[in-house]
Amino acid sequence: MSVRDLPSPQQGDPPRGTAPRWSCTRRFEAQPALVSIELLGLNQTLIQLGLPIEHLFALELVLAEVLNNVAEHAYGDSGKGPIELTVTVHEGCIQCRVKDFGAPMPGGALPPARRHSVKALALQDLPEGSFGWALIRDLTTDLNYQRFDGTNLLCFRIDPQE
Amino acid sequence: MDITLEPRGPIALLHVVPDRIDASVAIQFKDRFRDLVRDWNGPVVLDLQNVTFLDSSGLGAVVAARKLLGEGRQLDLSGLSPAVDKVMRLTRMNQVFPIHGSVAEALAAHGVAPVA
Repeated sequence: MSVRDLPSPQQGDPPRGTAPRWSCTRRFEAQPALVSIELLGLNQTLIQLGLPIEHLFALELVLAEVLNNVAEHAYGDSGKGPIELTVTVHEGCIQCRVKDFGAPMPGGALPPARRHSVKALALQDLPEGSFGWALIRDLTTDLNYQRFDGTNLLCFRIDPQE
Repeated sequence: MDITLEPRGPIALLHVVPDRIDASVAIQFKDRFRDLVRDWNGPVVLDLQNVTFLDSSGLGAVVAARKLLGEGRQLDLSGLSPAVDKVMRLTRMNQVFPIHGSVAEALAAHGVAPVA
């Protein structure tokens, strides 16, 4: 399936200049390949908003980390289980809401950002993962996690990049 | 995953053709890289000029590629887009790889003249 086959994620008129608020909700299965397709479609739509490219890149990176975490951890790489993503653009800020129905975060709280002092590490000790939460924490504001009724809800904002 | 090898003197120049290295292709990237460098003993330059998106899974695959080469073979990166460069800086992985603006600069750093 190509991106072109997807229904456009936009609802209503595309936001132009002073449009007060734009929002869309997408629901898809938690699989890395579907996550890539969703992100491409979202980018194609949001680029029409005139948001700076750095802002859209931060959004795409954070969503890739968050959504693939859901696929890998909440749904345990099963490839099954829905993700509901709502993106709202308002006054230059991007608000995101990610809902899933998989396993809760370990300990019921967000994992910490792991920072690596890579220069001190031997080659074979270099990390091949665990970069995700540091990136998410670096690029988001008001990151909030709630668990209720078997649902994970993660909310955050991506402010315009400096 | 579509990666091509161009031998340039002692250097294996690997061109990444797709524009994304993300969670959906990280394993394919590692497998293809391993196959390409299996019989190559010299340094490797990974040409990323087509890549406009790299997430942490993709970065993990590039780090795995570096480790696969071991201490004896260097892995340089060239042609990072602004988005890829940002991921490298945020994760401090820019301290792990020699990074060059272009393939020509990467080859020059290894003393290989660009093709006239």
